[in-house]
Amino acid sequence: MRAKAKLYPKEAARLLREKPGVREAVTGATLHFDRNRLKAYAEVPIAEWRERAKAVKDHALSHLDQYLELAEKRLKENGVQVHYAEEPEDAHRLLREIVERRGVKRAVKAKSMLTEELGVNPLLASLGVEVYETDLGEYLIQLLGEPPSHIVGPAIHLSLKEIQTLFHERFGTPLDASPEALAQVARKVLREAFLTAELGISGANFLVAETGTLALMENEGNIRLSTSLPKVHVAFVGIEKLLPRFQDLALFLPLTARAATGQRLSTFVSLIQGPARKGEEGPEEVHVVLVDHGRTALLADPEAWETLRCLRCGACLNACPVYRQTGGHPYGYVYSGPIGAVLDPGLLSLEEAYPLPYASTLCGACLEACPVKIPIPKLLLTWRHRAVAEGLSPAWERAMLAAYRRVMESPALYRLFSKALRGLPLPQDLLPLLRAWTEGRGPLKPSPKPFHQLWREMEEGHGR
Amino acid sequence: MDARTRILNRVRRALEGRPKALLPEHPHSPFPEDPIPLLLARLAENGAEPHLLSPEGAQALLRELAQGLPGVAFGQGVPTPFREGLNPLPPEEAPLGVSWALFAVAETGTLALSSADGRRAQLLPPTHLVLVERERVYPTLLQAFQDLKELPSALGLHSGPSKSADIGQVMVKGVHGPGRLIVAVLT
Ligand code: SF4
Repeated sequence: MRAKAKLYPKEAARLLREKPGVREAVTGATLHFDRNRLKAYAEVPIAEWRERAKAVKDHALSHLDQYLELAEKRLKENGVQVHYAEEPEDAHRLLREIVERRGVKRAVKAKSMLTEELGVNPLLASLGVEVYETDLGEYLIQLLGEPPSHIVGPAIHLSLKEIQTLFHERFGTPLDASPEALAQVARKVLREAFLTAELGISGANFLVAETGTLALMENEGNIRLSTSLPKVHVAFVGIEKLLPRFQDLALFLPLTARAATGQRLSTFVSLIQGPARKGEEGPEEVHVVLVDHGRTALLADPEAWETLRCLRCGACLNACPVYRQTGGHPYGYVYSGPIGAVLDPGLLSLEEAYPLPYASTLCGACLEACPVKIPIPKLLLTWRHRAVAEGLSPAWERAMLAAYRRVMESPALYRLFSKALRGLPLPQDLLPLLRAWTEGRGPLKPSPKPFHQLWREMEEGHGR
Repeated sequence: MDARTRILNRVRRALEGRPKALLPEHPHSPFPEDPIPLLLARLAENGAEPHLLSPEGAQALLRELAQGLPGVAFGQGVPTPFREGLNPLPPEEAPLGVSWALFAVAETGTLALSSADGRRAQLLPPTHLVLVERERVYPTLLQAFQDLKELPSALGLHSGPSKSADIGQVMVKGVHGPGRLIVAVLT
């Protein structure tokens, strides 16, 4: 996927101006997710769960070479074909080979953010393969030609009305068709695709080194179908997805479900060991592609490596007051919201993504929500420091800080400015920045005397 | 040098001098109570239809469900008495699928289905009846996984009917997989 993260401020402003409905849809959906997460967290000893999950991930990452080798060994023993991909081109080469060798005309895809990174859909389309996104939300945005706007709910920015219009135009359903009726239409189209596709493509939530198990979580059943019906299954797995032991899944599956949607476990979990055994239903070929695409660079980063713990649960997006305003599109890359703001500069480059770490109020809600305790606020500051050091920070910020410094360094200038500011009338409408603040509160009233004068007077009062 | 070597080399270089984090032990999860009531309650909360039945009771339930249907798709492991008198259909055509679960987990309301039992009957029919023996019900996921000796080519954990809220945040059932999950715990 081509990144447009540099345009974040402009794109965010444009979206708020041109598509005001998105804010409502995204805020509604994320608040709902967030409330469910809080309830689900409260039901278990969540502090201990998060600490343990962080420790397991840190262990896996600090022994990543060993676990990669172990996983590869086990996968091969299980009859899985293992590939490594540094760049999208490596993944493309493999897919091209499979498409030609197996005569693939149709592919069904389970939702996977990594395949967005790798540009799998455009590649398959260029090979003449019909690609069906089978997650309902993902299917909707595929019909619209849009990228996902949320890690877990890719179509949360769409209102029911927009989807009704879309289906009316594509399938001739009535403009007031119920969500059930629309889902049935999609089910019919996609069922046909499941039954005829030669290739199934998925990501993975986890890869267990000890057993070579791929773990995938979902609620619709489309991942189970995509990995069960076609004769070939290709799973793209980021190298950071490794877990040491099969039993670690007993923590990570429920923790991820609670963080993502507030469920105790997602409705369907696929734990895949390999191709169908003799006399069984299932794929004849299973391929696992271990993908780097910027991850080893992140691992080498003395601070940002912690983002590799990410489970892609989306909890930080749901908790983020900034993300809620626009959804994911303005962020301009696969990963949006708080995690995107600290991951994208590492996966792309700071040069390409420097506005994203500024898309935050540093309120810390993301850290509170994160099931693996990624210190997102700290990392946002790390990336901002780096952006300043590299001269990438926004021009207005540099000008403001320079002016602020001049004023603060000179007592005479400081007094002059504070006097001027106190004397200034505060016409609410002329200060659009303050309008949101004053809407629910009384107007700002500057004190008639500066603080240091009040302080002096108080001290003198005491002395008397 | 191939991609594999280059990636592994980069990983090793990245980890040079990095402290090695310890792997924590698995927690003990004492769960003294009888898991059956919890399983039934959690399944119901997940939107499934749980029953605690004798094998004969479950057979009667199955016949009732199959009434008026052209036939039923069976998983490999479903015992003969459950098949008697019913017309077996391929899962693509069957309105009802019947599976024999490997085990169940109470705390999450989950049925574990092995690929050795078949996959299509678990996924294609709009209604899915899962049979599980009472002795195969574990209190927790961790206990179930610790007890698992052998892994099938695919293990499916089903914890309710297929659902999605992707259309305007409205919960819809039966999007791809079965929209009805009926569970009989066999006494
Ligand atoms: S950073 Fe944490 S909260 Fe955000 S998606 Fe990743 S794991 Fe979830």
